[in-house]
Amino acid sequence: MLLDEIKSVLTFAAFKPESDDSNVAWAKRFEGRKSLLINVSRSQTSWRSFNKKGRFDESGVMEGEFADIAPQRADEWRQMAEGGWCCVSINNRFIVSLENNMMRGDNVTDLLRTNPRAVLGPKYDRGKRYAMCHHPDTTASMLLACEESMVKSTEDVLKNIGLRTGRVCCGLFALMEHAVTELYVKQRLSTPTNSALVAACEGSIAVLVQQDGQWKELRCRSGMGQDAVETSLQIITPLVQKLPQGSPVHFISDGQDLKFRSEIMAHLEKISAVDMTQDDLLWRVIGLH
Amino acid sequence: MSDYICHDFKTPRNDTSRRLPDTFKAVPLFFFLSLVGSAYFMTMDWMAYKHAQKTKIEAEARKTELDEAAKKLTDEKAVLDTETAKAESLAKWMEGARNVQPIATAIARAMPPEVRLSDLNLERSEQVPSNLSLSLRINGGSAAEVSLIETGLSRLQYRSFSPQQNKNEEVIEYRSTLVRQEQ
Repeated sequence: MLLDEIKSVLTFAAFKPESDDSNVAWAKRFEGRKSLLINVSRSQTSWRSFNKKGRFDESGVMEGEFADIAPQRADEWRQMAEGGWCCVSINNRFIVSLENNMMRGDNVTDLLRTNPRAVLGPKYDRGKRYAMCHHPDTTASMLLACEESMVKSTEDVLKNIGLRTGRVCCGLFALMEHAVTELYVKQRLSTPTNSALVAACEGSIAVLVQQDGQWKELRCRSGMGQDAVETSLQIITPLVQKLPQGSPVHFISDGQDLKFRSEIMAHLEKISAVDMTQDDLLWRVIGLH
Repeated sequence: MSDYICHDFKTPRNDTSRRLPDTFKAVPLFFFLSLVGSAYFMTMDWMAYKHAQKTKIEAEARKTELDEAAKKLTDEKAVLDTETAKAESLAKWMEGARNVQPIATAIARAMPPEVRLSDLNLERSEQVPSNLSLSLRINGGSAAEVSLIETGLSRLQYRSFSPQQNKNEEVIEYRSTLVRQEQ
């Protein structure tokens, strides 16, 4: 044990962030190491690995329940993850809602993880895990609530096959965080007051509407499956119709399902929607930040 | 890509330890610097040791060479010393023979031109170095020449002691001991 500690000091490992340190970006935690990214949806699981140079390496998709897929892919996944560390995106059994006047501050992210009741007050539900994304200029926030049982069962499955969870997040919410940062934080002064953001990630969809500079409405649905273009349009259309004509609509998706993306964009292009999707965007978002 | 950090709601671990502060990076840095420094000094010392060994071998070779040269010079000096000793002996002999030279001159001058002096020996007495033993042979001479010799020697303050004179046909042998007369 002492020898390990001396070794970790001499190799500077003792000064590097822990592999599951939530306050450090994934890419920085795994600099020079291989890591595995997994996206767990209702009826399929996809994965992608980073090599030691921080570039995308192997990838795969498998239909079925995660609990059935994981033991079959265990050996393959263990080889992709150095030290067994992986980042899991749970894309099922969650809900994103709009909230107002939520607590903000540097330590809120940690507090939300360790003592969510202190942040959410009466909105706190014992069986849920939470994450938040704030509007930069107003008091509105997006609140993600994911089933704790889903998180725990996913962690247990991974633990049973010898993998360790360095991060558990929601792919759809991560894409929305990314889009909010790109649209509302980076272009803060030039953001149109009326706009809509449509995010899709492997069968889950969320639509956020901003009117008069305020986030007014958010609708979310998870676990729809890959071919739910019609269902998605039924969610998107009424919200977009509330916006004044010509208001910008942005679309962001995981960057893997080209069929769903092209079909939905065929409809969204009619209202001049801008596609912010890039190749492997989901993996970039959860694997670099 | 912007620099925000993605959300995370995993089950927190209880066994996490605090990371060491960045200032503690000085410890491994100092360690590695010490290693590099030690390696540098060891290499330099090793090279200096090798250089010293080479210099020592060269110095020993030079010493051997110089020893041989010194021995040669010593031998030459011994030869020269021998020669010097011989020369000194000769010089001493020359110096010692200086007082005999006027005697030889006086004897030669005493001889008339028609008489030949065939043999002349002047020897110092080992017991009394101031005395000289004189022996000579005169061809074609007579007792008159002997008296001329004695006269010449008496001018040089030498007196003949127990002179012996033999005449064998034309050759007169004369022997005498010359004693220096003090003034």
